[in-house]
Amino acid sequence: MPRILRQIALAAVTATALATAGCGFGAPATTAAPSAPVARAPELAPDQPVSLVFESYNLGQAGPWSDTFTELLDQFHAEHPNITVTAQKPQGASSNPAADAVSSVQTQLSTGTAPDVVQLGFSDMAFTVDQLRAKPLDDLVGADTVQAHFDAGHPFAPTARTLAQVDGRTYGIPFVFSTPMLYLNATLFAQAGLDPATPPTTWDEVRRAALAIRAATGKDGAYVDCVTTTAKDWCLQSIVRSNGGRVLSEDGARLTYAEPPAVEAVAMLQDLVTSGAAPKLTQQQAVEAFTRGDLGMVLESSSVQGTFAEGAAGAGWQLTGTAVPSFGDRPAVPTNSGAALYVISDDPARQRAAWELITFLTSDRAYTLIAQKIGYLPLRTGLVDDPAALRSWAAQNPTVGINVAQLDRMEPWVAFPGDDYLQIRDGMMDAVERVVLQGADPATTLAEAQQRGTALMPAQNGR
Amino acid sequence: MTGKATTWTRAGGHLVLGGLGVLCAVPIYWLFATSLRRPQDVSSAALLPWPLSLQNYADAWAALDLPTLLGNTALMATAIAAGQLLIGLLAGYAFAAWDFRFSRALHLAFVATWLVPFQVTMLPNYVLLHQLGLLNTIAGVVLPQLCSALGVVLLRQHMLGFPRELLDAARMDGRGSWRILWTVVVPNLGPPLASLAVLLFINAWNEYFWPALVLQRSNAVLQLGLRSFMGAEGNDWGPMMATAGMACLPVLLLYLVLQRRVVDGFVRSGLK
Repeated sequence: MPRILRQIALAAVTATALATAGCGFGAPATTAAPSAPVARAPELAPDQPVSLVFESYNLGQAGPWSDTFTELLDQFHAEHPNITVTAQKPQGASSNPAADAVSSVQTQLSTGTAPDVVQLGFSDMAFTVDQLRAKPLDDLVGADTVQAHFDAGHPFAPTARTLAQVDGRTYGIPFVFSTPMLYLNATLFAQAGLDPATPPTTWDEVRRAALAIRAATGKDGAYVDCVTTTAKDWCLQSIVRSNGGRVLSEDGARLTYAEPPAVEAVAMLQDLVTSGAAPKLTQQQAVEAFTRGDLGMVLESSSVQGTFAEGAAGAGWQLTGTAVPSFGDRPAVPTNSGAALYVISDDPARQRAAWELITFLTSDRAYTLIAQKIGYLPLRTGLVDDPAALRSWAAQNPTVGINVAQLDRMEPWVAFPGDDYLQIRDGMMDAVERVVLQGADPATTLAEAQQRGTALMPAQNGR
Repeated sequence: MTGKATTWTRAGGHLVLGGLGVLCAVPIYWLFATSLRRPQDVSSAALLPWPLSLQNYADAWAALDLPTLLGNTALMATAIAAGQLLIGLLAGYAFAAWDFRFSRALHLAFVATWLVPFQVTMLPNYVLLHQLGLLNTIAGVVLPQLCSALGVVLLRQHMLGFPRELLDAARMDGRGSWRILWTVVVPNLGPPLASLAVLLFINAWNEYFWPALVLQRSNAVLQLGLRSFMGAEGNDWGPMMATAGMACLPVLLLYLVLQRRVVDGFVRSGLK
């Protein structure tokens, strides 16, 4: 063997040895029984000092997000001088801090430095409870106290109260939240001879309007978020539910996204593309095209309304919006994206302090500030009618009314179960992307993906 | 005939290189063009940013504490580059100037660390920093990066080409190894040391992944400040491009000033 090759081989062997040695450190130790009862966290004495670590992906984003959270935490400390909160963003290098939220807690659990309170997405809920050891709030402070908090001040929307429940037990308090909306470029509508005051209410109408816009203006017609793997499935679930289907059976034991109603819903999305009504774009490209005024309609999160409004003002087009379209006469079913606040701490004093922080961050006062400064929908929906709170803000943001109306018929964004929940979700979304954007056959592609996903379900692999 | 062919070949070569040059410059142009658009125009695909606006720079300035970020990043990059240069110099000198037992194995161990992916050593380093109480500090970012296999390998290559006779002559004059290094070797290694220093500084300046893990409670360095314009609810492209423009200016200036030395250093080391 030539000398140089021998040296490279030796170096590779040494590297492998070093790498293997490295793998031995810090293996996660997340084996606690998720549903084991947790002792009641005792009330804190007024002068009992407690230090908390609060981790939120909103803290990773400069501007109104981190500023608002800093302001809220200052207010909390003024009210609870004995509780000191250290705020941090998830660790990790993803461009979107929310994508690191789960792995960050997992890593810190393995090093014994887990935060006490975390903000995690609804689609991660099963994993949060099973593996990240979120504590049942019903045990920590009592179910009555949890319900009393939901009812305090302007009560939580009924459909929002149960979003962070598993097996009837409340593990988290829903915090930030949005629903899908169909945004319209009213200027392109008018140029195509359509009336933006009577927006499309069904997917058939969306298709016809999109084709009319394309024919009259040469610009793209309509784009639906949640057709790519990176965009996740929260609004795809809304479309599938609107056609009477589900991605997961009601008991959570079986994948159902290859059943006829789901296949029909995905086939409808494919038809939008093949008919020319929808462009082949990624979510990011579609959001930017709509912001520039180059797209007639987009089904997107209510939380991006500010971005669209700024783009419309700059590019000189008029923004309007409407609710999620339906399949014919069947009522549309909006789903939610967003996150809840969970207690991870094992220490009783920190657990109680964590509850105090969570109740503050989900109070009337906090929601008023969050809605005004960040634009998230307040889950205490009565605030938008309260002249002392958000009435004037709601009047300036007409899409708020559409969202509040959608809350009444909203159904939860369902989280897939088990340790492999992300692989199951990504497998499904990969299939949807191949069907919608690449023209694969809906029935067979989804059936194959469901078969692979089923092998990852907890009942199948014994986990 | 030959002359014509040469002219055409040259013209073709220039055309290809010119095209590649433009391709390389377009992202930089787009960065500055976007940063100079009005906030409501940042999604525009127009080639020329018009009307011009400095609002994105003002927004970036308001959202981030840029002087502190610049200071922290310069401190971090300087400390990492200085540490890597010093260790590279000492280790390269040892490997090049002496034949000692296990020197080849030790050298291979240095090279091997180059082949271990960062993701493998990430968690052990993180645990160690936690035990040392250095998480969320600039020192925590710097410490695990003080030694670079690149520095050791590159300087060893240079020193192997250093005339042995000079070292022997210095030894005969009664100088010890330490004095030989600083009075004979280092003064003659000016260009490679300068080029390596620039390279290590730029690498450290652009470092993103490790600071993102260690600095969880703040966006204390520029690359994390840049990321803070991206989030769950969309990206704030205007201020991000303005900050990126400001972040790359110091490095760009450093490179322009020392460009010849950087190229020289690589050509002479035999590594390309």
